[in-house]
Amino acid sequence: MMTNASQITQAGLSSLVEDLRQAGIQVIGPARVTDGAVEYQRLADLSGWTPGVQPRRSLKEWFLPVTEPLFRYRKQGPRVLVEELAPPDAPRVVLGAYPCDAAALPILDAVMGWDYRDDPWFARREATVILSQVCPGGDASCFCTDVGIAPDSAAGADLRMCPIESGWRVQVETGKGEAFLQQWSRHFQPANGSKNPLPPAGPPRSEAPRANPERVRAWIETHFEDPFWQEVALRCHGCGGCAAVCPTCHCFDIVDEPENPVQGARRRNWDTCQTALFTRHASGHNPREDQCGRCRQRVNHKFAIYPARFGRILCTGCGRCARTCPSGQDITEILARIDQWAAGPGGA
Amino acid sequence: MRELRDLARRLLEEGSVQTVLGWEEGPRGARPVFVRRPEEAERLIFDPRCVHNLAAYLSPRRPHLKGLGRIAICVKPCDAKAVAGLIRETQVARDQVVLIGLRCGGVLPDPEGRETLSGETVADRCRGCPDREPRLADHVVGTAAEGFPGPSRRQQKVEELLALSPDDRWRFWQQELARCVRCHACRQVCPLCFCEQCIADKTRPRWVESSAHGRGNLAWHISRAMHLAGRCVDCGECERVCPGGIPLGLLTRRVAKTVGERFGWRPSDDPAVPSPVGTWRPEDPQEFIL
Amino acid sequence: MDGEGARPFEPRITAFVCNWCTYTGADLAGTSRLQMAANVRIIRLPCTGRIDPMFIVKAFERGADGVIVSGCHPADCHYNAGNYHARRRFAIFRELVDFLGIDPGRLTFSWVSASEGAKWRDVVNETVDRVRRLGPFTAYRELVTDPPVTRVIGEEVPA
Repeated sequence: MMTNASQITQAGLSSLVEDLRQAGIQVIGPARVTDGAVEYQRLADLSGWTPGVQPRRSLKEWFLPVTEPLFRYRKQGPRVLVEELAPPDAPRVVLGAYPCDAAALPILDAVMGWDYRDDPWFARREATVILSQVCPGGDASCFCTDVGIAPDSAAGADLRMCPIESGWRVQVETGKGEAFLQQWSRHFQPANGSKNPLPPAGPPRSEAPRANPERVRAWIETHFEDPFWQEVALRCHGCGGCAAVCPTCHCFDIVDEPENPVQGARRRNWDTCQTALFTRHASGHNPREDQCGRCRQRVNHKFAIYPARFGRILCTGCGRCARTCPSGQDITEILARIDQWAAGPGGA
Repeated sequence: MRELRDLARRLLEEGSVQTVLGWEEGPRGARPVFVRRPEEAERLIFDPRCVHNLAAYLSPRRPHLKGLGRIAICVKPCDAKAVAGLIRETQVARDQVVLIGLRCGGVLPDPEGRETLSGETVADRCRGCPDREPRLADHVVGTAAEGFPGPSRRQQKVEELLALSPDDRWRFWQQELARCVRCHACRQVCPLCFCEQCIADKTRPRWVESSAHGRGNLAWHISRAMHLAGRCVDCGECERVCPGGIPLGLLTRRVAKTVGERFGWRPSDDPAVPSPVGTWRPEDPQEFIL
Repeated sequence: MDGEGARPFEPRITAFVCNWCTYTGADLAGTSRLQMAANVRIIRLPCTGRIDPMFIVKAFERGADGVIVSGCHPADCHYNAGNYHARRRFAIFRELVDFLGIDPGRLTFSWVSASEGAKWRDVVNETVDRVRRLGPFTAYRELVTDPPVTRVIGEEVPA
């Protein structure tokens, strides 16, 4: 029986990846793409693995793909035949997930399994073992500690890794993680030293929380028509880049794509509340007719609507939205201003 | 900077404009700011981190900006070409906006840039840019500066790709476009993407499949580049915003090369110069037509 | 269906043609009993100026191996200038898709007047030969590959 603290050398990790590949298990981890940025990629080996760099986009697309077919259809005279496709349940391992990405997954489980169980989502969730890493460091846009997550957060991780001199210290977080460690135990050694398996994480990026989530939520819920939303939207282009890189934005659109008059596919594609088309009715009426309503929606959904329904903030503080915004919009600044008003006289 | 802030304050005080659109210091470097009170003019900055093409905010596609009254907008010489494009295509009336032209010696690739501006660090689009002095402007501020020699790396990359076989180009683009998530951020930030309804948003019929698969992505990027023929001013905002890091500027540059070579067109800050796709000449080359 | 299995490859060509010239020219080719390849499906439009480049993209999406766009000679446009506008548009389009890796050999642009039945025959034959040499446009069709079908829900109608 393994103890729940193990370690693995860099060479051991390499041979583990090789064994996983041989066993037909896909390995996913941060790696550079052609433009030099890092993204979660399929890894053939560890040569391109870059655990020290936060990927440009979150881990979400490995569970909710940018586009995925739900089924195909074929017409035969008056009938329509529905063709089921092989479920996305191929076994996978994520090696070196950022804590802010891993933490997003259980948050999203809530909505994905709420009124309707999202089969493709859970098929991927169940088929994936997540080895997260203790955050190697972020930048000024990081704010995970403001939303109840931490650089060494275990949320969403089956195993947690932390770099040590000889490789990585690994701690089991779930039964799935334990089973994985047992199955591949030949690559791991028992951890040296104390029972406290992981060194303490570095200090969180933000010294003091910039906003109190409860106060922010109360203010949002009572200030739907506040002129602040007009002001905050001014510089927004409605590009939705924030949603594209966000680990928790999960809205999608479902389309039927005919390939010819008799066959096609129904697909599910990422969508974002930042575009006009998201809410446009068939009549042409659009209840969110301009960017003010759309900016408000994004903040509202993350910090009021989702917490009200599922008890969790729909944000892990990864800071990607601020990094990607072409206009320098910063969610922490927005939350801090809201919090200031909410805390002030006559606030929420 | 003083000159810019004083001008902005004066324009707001005398009421000739209600909003000055420029740049301010944000949490991650320079960012757009809408200054609406004279005392806020002190927020304005201009330095090589002011990469944003603010002309995008003039597009009539942004109804939430209609209530800002008359706008004075800060434009670098290259941004002024986008304003000229909007005027040329009757999206904006010249007398509807006040243009504050800024003398420019090139900008950095992104608004955060902590580096000093040099031939190495300058934004690629500034390499070979001939425009130092804004011409389409009501006020001109700033000090004259030297530019940087071309050609841009993007232009060189276009030539490199053209030397490949079609199959190799196909592989190159399939690899790049595979990172497209069809967020259409490239369209949203483009100052010249001003259609009230984009072809990509048309659903009856669905001209451009919204799925981010190879077919949908290719259709979208063909469509986008076609629609920007003779419009693109090479401001690079599409590439800067792309959450997939796709070298979108290569496509628009390729198209610009065609309209340049075949129709003698260059992005111009003169709104009176006709658009190359809205006009024609009987003697246009047609060697590709049987 | 055109065979791509045991039978030799027969290119599928979509032709977008102007009502006032090429369409009538193609009709003339037929009534003159001119022999030509039977691989072309014609779509009639009022003018080459009406042909959005997206039509061509759509044709490839729906399985065309090659596309012909044909209209009135310069100075002959029924609407005065539609063909001049189209000429610029397709000059740009052709070089753009070539840049993206679509072999321009899959595209034919031609001016064929109502009296040029023989020219239409030549345009068709030349295009079909060229696309035949390039082979089926499988690269385009393989842009989307879905997971295998595991179960069919509904009743198959016996053939």
